[in-house]
Amino acid sequence: MRPHPPARPWCALVLLGGLSSVGCDDSPKETASTGASELGPAPAVSPPTPRLRRLTQVQYRNVLVDLFGDDLVLPVSLEPDVREEGFQSIGASSTSISPRGVEQYEDAAYDVAEQVVGWPDRLSRWMDCSVDEVVTDACAADLAARLGRRAWRRPLTDAEVERLAAVISSIEAESGDAATGVMYGIAAILMDPRFLYRAELGTDDGSGGRILTDLELASRLSFLLWNTGPDDALLAAAEVGTLSTSDGLRAEARRLLDDDRARVGLRNFFTELYQLDLLDSLTKDPLVIPQASPEVGPAARAETLAVLEALVFDDDADFRTALTTRRTFIDRRLAAIYGVPAPDVDAAAWTELPQAGGRRGVLGHTSFLMLNAHNSTTSATLRGKFVRERLLCQVMPPPPADVDTSIPEADETSPTLRDRVAVHLEDPACSGCHELMDPIGLGFENFDAIGKWRPTEAGAPIDPAGVLDGVAFGDAWEMSAVVAQHDQFGPCLAQNLYQYATGLPVEDGDEALVEWLGEAFAADGHRVRELVLRVIESPGFSQVGALQ
Amino acid sequence: MKRAFPFVRTARRTGRFHSADSGGPGPSRRRVLRGLLHGSAVTIGLPPLLSVRRAFGETCDDGFPQRFVLFYWGNGVRPDLWTPSGEGSGDDWALSDELAPLAALKHKLAVVTGMSVKVPNLIPHWSGAMGFLTGIAPTGTDGAWDVQGPTFDQRLASEIGGDTIYRSLELGVLTDTSISFAGPGARYPAERDPYAFFDRIFGSSFREPGSDTGPDPRLAWRRSVLDGVMDSIRTLESEVGTEDRERLQNHFDGIRDLEQRLARLQEDPPELAECTRPDAPETAYPDIDGRPQLAARARAMSDLTAMALACDQTRVLTYNLSTPLTNVLFPDVSEGHHTLTHNEGGIQPQVHAITISVMEELAYLLAALEAVPEGDGTLLDHSLVLGSTDVSEGKTHSLNEYPILLAGGACGAFQTDVHYRSYSQENASKVLLSLLRGFGVTSESYGEAEAQATDGLSAIEG
Repeated sequence: MRPHPPARPWCALVLLGGLSSVGCDDSPKETASTGASELGPAPAVSPPTPRLRRLTQVQYRNVLVDLFGDDLVLPVSLEPDVREEGFQSIGASSTSISPRGVEQYEDAAYDVAEQVVGWPDRLSRWMDCSVDEVVTDACAADLAARLGRRAWRRPLTDAEVERLAAVISSIEAESGDAATGVMYGIAAILMDPRFLYRAELGTDDGSGGRILTDLELASRLSFLLWNTGPDDALLAAAEVGTLSTSDGLRAEARRLLDDDRARVGLRNFFTELYQLDLLDSLTKDPLVIPQASPEVGPAARAETLAVLEALVFDDDADFRTALTTRRTFIDRRLAAIYGVPAPDVDAAAWTELPQAGGRRGVLGHTSFLMLNAHNSTTSATLRGKFVRERLLCQVMPPPPADVDTSIPEADETSPTLRDRVAVHLEDPACSGCHELMDPIGLGFENFDAIGKWRPTEAGAPIDPAGVLDGVAFGDAWEMSAVVAQHDQFGPCLAQNLYQYATGLPVEDGDEALVEWLGEAFAADGHRVRELVLRVIESPGFSQVGALQ
Repeated sequence: MKRAFPFVRTARRTGRFHSADSGGPGPSRRRVLRGLLHGSAVTIGLPPLLSVRRAFGETCDDGFPQRFVLFYWGNGVRPDLWTPSGEGSGDDWALSDELAPLAALKHKLAVVTGMSVKVPNLIPHWSGAMGFLTGIAPTGTDGAWDVQGPTFDQRLASEIGGDTIYRSLELGVLTDTSISFAGPGARYPAERDPYAFFDRIFGSSFREPGSDTGPDPRLAWRRSVLDGVMDSIRTLESEVGTEDRERLQNHFDGIRDLEQRLARLQEDPPELAECTRPDAPETAYPDIDGRPQLAARARAMSDLTAMALACDQTRVLTYNLSTPLTNVLFPDVSEGHHTLTHNEGGIQPQVHAITISVMEELAYLLAALEAVPEGDGTLLDHSLVLGSTDVSEGKTHSLNEYPILLAGGACGAFQTDVHYRSYSQENASKVLLSLLRGFGVTSESYGEAEAQATDGLSAIEG
């Protein structure tokens, strides 16, 4: 299933079905269950050429914590991540390390290495001898082999061990200081492309295709589920060939999923997917929005991630309830914005939003509402675009060139945004796409640019009613339920999880599998844990395309 | 208040390792190693000191090198308020409203109007930004676009940047990305923190002219580690597909640059009378009312730019005041810049006010270069500053009436005090072809397909 509609510059969506309305119950209506038994086997794939995946900034730091402990002072200036197709994980498969990035990785490597050699607890995990004495060749080789295996996610060859040990020995000899030699050796491991890139490139499967090796599977599995490199147990399983059996792969996948680190991994997926990382740098005009502060963005991210994490790991619930639940996790800042009592004065805590009032699910969260708005004002187009692109996997083309994109300013004749964006829907150069986005976004107009409820704009009542792909809604809450029931909502999450796992945009050769994953997700009751396992056990996870 | 610490940290630093050596700002590599070596002097074999450098590119008559600065901002201008009145040189032309902040240096400006970026305008802001700077249409869509060649600054850096400590430098005032690309998938970040930019160039590795502290003995060890990394990249290259090979080549080139930089740091610094280590900027520039301190940030960066060029740390510098689509809140306006270009009605007075603010910062940068005497003139006289943006007008994303501004003349390689107006929507690539040639680079053309120019713009050539 490829993102659609591809037509440019005109948008065209085939809207099926007549106008219907939705109910207001908190739980999504059950769609007819197809049942797992009716689901056929996963179809074959013809994946694209595999790409080196540079560690994202988050992954780089997660791995360092694994190697040297969580009291390490972590480097912050690293090659920036680039979002492609909405994911940093995909951008990491196509962008290069810049000359500035090279400097930053060098700085980071020495900074970390220095913290390791100066701290016996950190070093003793990787080396049996002390840097207070002379480090022998054997000891240097032992360090290179042990640290190298975890850092590079595979055992090192003899030649690689020899080269790294030589760095340690020669600089130890020149400086007359064992710690200096070891520091340069550790830095060399951390600057190496085998550390900075995940090389999940596959090997000839004997019948014309390419399949990931056990060690490559371990890496792909671990980064998908934990967003960090494999632990010793996973590497050990890979080294004895367990992962290339379907039982072995499933067992390790379940072990990783049952570990708390899987919560960290899933949070990263949703952070990339819903662009929650941007909440750190988002500014709202405090002169217009008094609730704005640098703390609101991180609190809003914490809310959305807590709700999604609980849904997946604690409740193993239908993912569609993410859009309809009244249960949420807020601090006093968000409580003030939401107009509800703070569940706890000091920290964020769970609470149930009132039945009255239109705030439900993730689309009622400040995270979504403030990310998809301007600095002072709301944007029907941005909110509608997010729903189309991030939740339904439909691509909205940019406006055509040389068209005046400005909208009228507010005045007495057009007090509300709905009045002002009417020009988008009148001008045929605009309406093709804007009629797909604006009506959705206008449904959220009761929420201002930081997500605070407002019944009116400039004194005029706000009319949030609209129609989404043939289904009418009366307000934002009803629309959330319409989105949750949309036939693209489940398949879109499946497509996104698959892209995130492979680090490559979905192409023709993956289409059938991605479609099947969407069906499987529905058959499994839209439970994300099951979807994750379906992705891992699918041929698209372990097979890669020819090297071209 | 100056911070005592050159690197920003996310987590607490326990200081256990540094406690014995916490007297000064730390932990630079120099300090760390001094700690490691217990203060003992380190002597290892050093390569012979080289004091004379071979010049790349053109050299001015007075012996100084030509420098190039790209001054970039996002979201265009108001073309009707940007275009100067009159044409030709001297008193025949006068600055417009939006160019008025540059009045003090009008005699060193060349303004080119009426040009068009000829690539298909399919990706708002990026078709213009990259169509102009690379001369080639970017591919892809808004969410996933890519360039098909280097941007002009990097193209020039590959020709004339090889003899300085840094092949090029990229900074940002309101952004941490640069519009600079080495090629597909190879975008450059920009240093946004003035203190970090200072520390990178004028920190512990910098040596003032005439200093005889001797080079750092650890440079050789760092070089040997980098040699090993380059070998590893070469090995990995043999295992990957074509596009990954290009990515690894970019990575390799970056390491080679760093390795060569370390080699240069083992030589004596060049003799440059006006080069001194500048004062450190502030360690933080907190936002005020949700708005960045535009003038304070930009001026700190401009002062560092002038000294980086005066000290010949680089000959190509990209100054990203902002980047395409920037939606930052400028001081004294009510919405983000990009939002205003689309949502402000009428004649868009706030958008206009932002352009004036941008030009005021360009004026400060030019004045900072003008204030450095060099040879027969000033640093500005030895430089060419190209000012441009990603669309002509934000509201329409138009690529006609493209804003192009030149300052300095690079030792007479380009005309100054001139307004050239095209009445035939000439190809903007002609300007970049003239620029390339003015820096002594032989080139048949600039750009590809509909944006290719094979003739320069003679009206701006010296």
